Amino acid sequence: MTVKTLAEAQEVCPTTTRRLLTEGALLVDVREPNEVATLALDVGSVVNIPLSQFEQRWSELPRDRELVLVCETGARSLKATYFLQYQGFERVANMGGGLVKWMTKGFPVKGQRHEPAAASSSSCCGSADAASAPCCDSAAANTASCCATSSSAAPCCATSEADVPCCTPAAGGASAQACC
Amino acid sequence: MDIKVLGTGCANCKNTIALIDQVAQAKGVAVQLEKVEDIRAIMGYGVMSTPGVVINGKVVHAGGVPSRDKIEQWLSA
Repeated sequence: MTVKTLAEAQEVCPTTTRRLLTEGALLVDVREPNEVATLALDVGSVVNIPLSQFEQRWSELPRDRELVLVCETGARSLKATYFLQYQGFERVANMGGGLVKWMTKGFPVKGQRHEPAAASSSSCCGSADAASAPCCDSAAANTASCCATSSSAAPCCATSEADVPCCTPAAGGASAQACC
Repeated sequence: MDIKVLGTGCANCKNTIALIDQVAQAKGVAVQLEKVEDIRAIMGYGVMSTPGVVINGKVVHAGGVPSRDKIEQWLSA
């Protein structure tokens, strides 16, 4: 493998991403299939190439279209963005903040939306208390992203069924991890 | 011998560095060991799976902790 000095990746926000999509860009979601099945961006031009398959499948992507890479928070997609730059793609950008930021903007998604409440975020994301279920016992950085995603009235860590995808104990470790 | 370990700070990356250091000391080989944690720099080697190992500018390994045998071969070369 040749060593290359890569230019700093272009970062775009969800608003710019939506504009680019109307101008013909293609969104590339690098999350794993189970994540996409649970919650996906509701846009027309999107393909899913999971990061775990990216090295084998990157050549499926067109070079003649602007590509915007996206994941949950923007970290995995940044890696994929640089990988495409390494492969010679010139029109690539990373959607900073990922799906989490997309949702804070109220942009359309399909599936089980994370609906933690801004009002209850102190009980969810603050120091542990009785309401701090598995979701909220995880790392501070994770809970912050979990609990900053929406302004719904549904409490993040309550035990109601509505919160299953996010933070209920019933959601289990894997789901809670994916959420948070 | 210039050795770079590519990885964003995961346990496997740290274990790889420790193992290379251990083998180098055991064999009495002088190595210059460097961690590369910046994702942009890592991707500059085209390595998606970390940890990656670069010896004298050439990628010799990507993904998972390399075996002791493999490291001994690198250091014998």
